[in-house]
Amino acid sequence: MNTFFAVVIGLVASYLGYNQYARRIDREVIQSDPKRMTPARLYTDGVDFVPTSRNVLFGYHFKSIAAAGPIVGAITAANLWGWLPAIIWLVLGVVFIGWVSDYTAIVVSIRNEGNSLSAIAHRLIAPRTRIILFIFIFFYLLLIGGAFGGILADVMNSQSQAPLGIIVLMLMGLLLGQMLYRWRVPLIAASLITVGVTFAAILLGPASAGFFKDGLDGAINAITGGQPVVQYFDPTVADPKTGLIVGADRQILPSFIFWALFILAFCYFGSVLPIWRWAQPVVYIGFWITATAMLLGLAGAALALFLKPDVAMLKLAAFKGWDTGVGGALQPIWPMLFVTIACGAISGWHALFGSVGTARQLEYETDALPVGGGSMFMEFLLGLLALLAVSVGGGGGAGAFANGLASFMNVFGIPLEYGRALAFAAFVVIVLVVTQLVFRIMRVTLAEWLGDAWPALRNIHVSTIVSLALAFFLVMTGTWIYLWQLFGGANQLMASLSLLVVTVWLVSIGRKAAWVGIPMLFMYVTTVAANLVTAYNLYVTVFVANVGQPGRIIPVIGSGLMIVVALLLVGAALVIGYDGWQAFRRYRAQPVVRAAAPAS
Amino acid sequence: MAGYEFAREAAHMRSELNVLLMLMCFGDVIGVPVMPPTYALRLLPYIARDLDAWKRSVLRERHPLDKEEFDLIEM
Repeated sequence: MNTFFAVVIGLVASYLGYNQYARRIDREVIQSDPKRMTPARLYTDGVDFVPTSRNVLFGYHFKSIAAAGPIVGAITAANLWGWLPAIIWLVLGVVFIGWVSDYTAIVVSIRNEGNSLSAIAHRLIAPRTRIILFIFIFFYLLLIGGAFGGILADVMNSQSQAPLGIIVLMLMGLLLGQMLYRWRVPLIAASLITVGVTFAAILLGPASAGFFKDGLDGAINAITGGQPVVQYFDPTVADPKTGLIVGADRQILPSFIFWALFILAFCYFGSVLPIWRWAQPVVYIGFWITATAMLLGLAGAALALFLKPDVAMLKLAAFKGWDTGVGGALQPIWPMLFVTIACGAISGWHALFGSVGTARQLEYETDALPVGGGSMFMEFLLGLLALLAVSVGGGGGAGAFANGLASFMNVFGIPLEYGRALAFAAFVVIVLVVTQLVFRIMRVTLAEWLGDAWPALRNIHVSTIVSLALAFFLVMTGTWIYLWQLFGGANQLMASLSLLVVTVWLVSIGRKAAWVGIPMLFMYVTTVAANLVTAYNLYVTVFVANVGQPGRIIPVIGSGLMIVVALLLVGAALVIGYDGWQAFRRYRAQPVVRAAAPAS
Repeated sequence: MAGYEFAREAAHMRSELNVLLMLMCFGDVIGVPVMPPTYALRLLPYIARDLDAWKRSVLRERHPLDKEEFDLIEM
């Protein structure tokens, strides 16, 4: 197997899925009609409801959904089970489930006056669904914050070429916000300066590695004489050479804690500063860095077979086994693969965002498929690229991804050292821009949820710090794969709940619903099972293994918190599932609105 | 496309100021009497065209997370 054929498989699957399946559903079941009014045209207010060209909206939607999820998930799954199961799930997931979720969330919103999924669930399923979804979102975001915060701290601590680019990105983000909104500098000029300086800092990263590794990290670690602050057995650690999950003692050094706090401080500013001052410019600069790395990587992957054939061959094992758990942990391919690879195949976040963002800007109903469905197929290609990069890179984790992406860029003559620096920076940036905003939404959720009981949580600094502290506990557990799988489970569970809302809606208007209902059932059962497996893994391999041991209170608290979150998510899903089933039966017996005839 | 989010953010910032002004001048339209209608009536011809859209926009039911920046959370 080589990268060229994998890219061809991806393109053919996307073409067939979109043209033979998605368009047929859009035409025959949804019966989208360009003459039917959309919320954007009906309620134009120039702010939230704005009729927008589908080309612009495609870019907007794709940029909003394509980031860390498809990359990290593919890397993790390839290391756990090999590239073959990962590629099969990516293809089948996007063709039969992924686009369905993204597209239908937008459609159900535009057919319901641009209401969000939770508002529609409140009306169609049960009032309590809205509140449960709200709490669900908080824990879901907490898992993202913990999973991404952990991986960022690890990369910043172990890859000393990365910090310089990230520090400069922070400064350039502040500068760009000031230039655009206060000094009124034209966008192109401001972009050239800030993006250019950030790129330069990234490429200078390898030269600064000595300072960060020996100087800064060395000085911090000297506080404890190079001894770890926390040490415990982590059953999810991979062999850095083979990429196999073997389990090993994990040592948390003071420098790791320093970088974890650095990342959380970054997120604190993302949460409390005005959006234009920090978060948005950082996202914008990050977009150019990641887009450059990804486009060069995808082109390199497609052309490597012809320009540098040795780069094109996949080095990772195709299949590593049905159950790759070690140390008493379970990692069965079902259900765990289906939550480990989340966003590249299907994602609940897309549905959430699509219903409140994109749906309110669609000018014509017929744009829903190219924007929502088309973006999902594009994101699948991003997941495929990450999978190929880690498969040709050899080894495990983010390092393998960076090696692989650097090899693809090397096809065009870019030196491996610079390619690797750019790939690492792209990886960190893509994860960081998500993480900083997660806490922004968490603080809003926390204030709305518990603000009446504890008024202090209505203060943005207090609610942000509480959210950051919870995420810090998760980061310190060290069992990163479990954290990621728990996040994937929550993400996929949200997707299945979105599909549940759509199924009930379709039944309520007397339309065919099996094409949504079957994927919903599959994802629902799979994700509930996966969350239970993860809770079991945490209990057996982290909680029980460390409880009562001196100096290991942090992993015990962290794993305990994760187990509680996993069970809460399952409980919430069961309640919503029960309410959804009742609503399904109610509407199947008596649909409230018959499907309208398509407008002529 | 690259600057679309800045355009949206600028529109949101403008909208917040606009809502404040409208609320002061025409708050009674949505049940919040702030300024005597005599003065508001003098401004009415200038905003009459946008009044319905504004009223619909501010009275629309919102989820607490509606205003948060979902689009920037790339996932």
